[in-house]
Amino acid sequence: MDTVASTTKMNRDEIFDLMKQFITEVIGEEFVEEMDITPESSFTKDLEMDSIEIVSFSEKIKAHFGDQIDFTGWLSSMDLDQLINLNLGMIINYIYECQ
Amino acid sequence: MPVIKVNNRDVHIQELNKGAAETVLLVHGMFSNLSVYYFNIAPILAEHFHVVMYDLKSHGMSERTLHGYDLNSMTDDLNALMEALQLNVVHLAGYSFGGLIALKMALRFPDKVKKLVVIEAPDPKDEKARGIIDDYSREFLEHYVENFTDTTKVKMGKRQMERNHRMYEYLFYQTSIKSDMIAEKDFLDEPQISLLNKDTLLLYGSDSNCLETGKELNGKIKTSELTAVPGDHNIPIQEPVLIANMINTFFMN
Repeated sequence: MDTVASTTKMNRDEIFDLMKQFITEVIGEEFVEEMDITPESSFTKDLEMDSIEIVSFSEKIKAHFGDQIDFTGWLSSMDLDQLINLNLGMIINYIYECQ
Repeated sequence: MPVIKVNNRDVHIQELNKGAAETVLLVHGMFSNLSVYYFNIAPILAEHFHVVMYDLKSHGMSERTLHGYDLNSMTDDLNALMEALQLNVVHLAGYSFGGLIALKMALRFPDKVKKLVVIEAPDPKDEKARGIIDDYSREFLEHYVENFTDTTKVKMGKRQMERNHRMYEYLFYQTSIKSDMIAEKDFLDEPQISLLNKDTLLLYGSDSNCLETGKELNGKIKTSELTAVPGDHNIPIQEPVLIANMINTFFMN
């Protein structure tokens, strides 16, 4: 399992690459190959992730960043429409700010 | 991803606030998974309770299993899960088919259930619920997903449609879920339900087709209270904060 190896702050590009890695692990490489994942990609519309896949994705963020980031808490503050419109860029920003 | 072995099968669980004195265990419905609680309801309950969610067999990320979808098997699974997690007694809440599992659990293992919340449990006798299974087709799935699925309001894309289609195909045609459900059609007529001596909160949508079942249960269970929440069968998705707060208050008092 990934753990925080150092306290160095990740930049936005590094966070983006890490998120892409997590998404690939959750939905599978064969689907990711057909997608153009960008910070504008929305979780539900573009990446077609369903709620149980977002649970897996959240678990990966928790395992990687530990208590540093309350990702589930952040998601739980959103209503359904906000969750539907959630895109990768918003997550990158959130993680970047939390570090 | 926390997956534990229960009776030699993989069960996906999620836990919040492990240190808390009392545990709330949440059971999801058929064709759904623990995410129905994970994002909104569980975090609110976790302010006071240790919260445990799990995926039923062949659902979410738990292992696929061909047999044992009747309420005895489902409560055997739940009992084994509690043993695996060393939980002696819990507050139990279940939604939809999970509500029937929770009710059955309170009947079979009363010492293990402190208080009970039943959300939108349907009457398994309902022809419509069983008709859904007989009429199953891809067309039906598309219609079902658009109107009735309780995991998300979002319309599905191709990958999700295929994924769900595979799950339905598996559950309907390879497992015993259909015959197991039909065998439970008289469950709500069981006389033990009237003898249930457990504080029970029944939460139903004011516009739900299942509300009559809620009223029926409220008439049978002497220690129950029925609350109608704005919405239909999908109230945990429609009113998650309201539902969570009601469950919280009920379990805390």
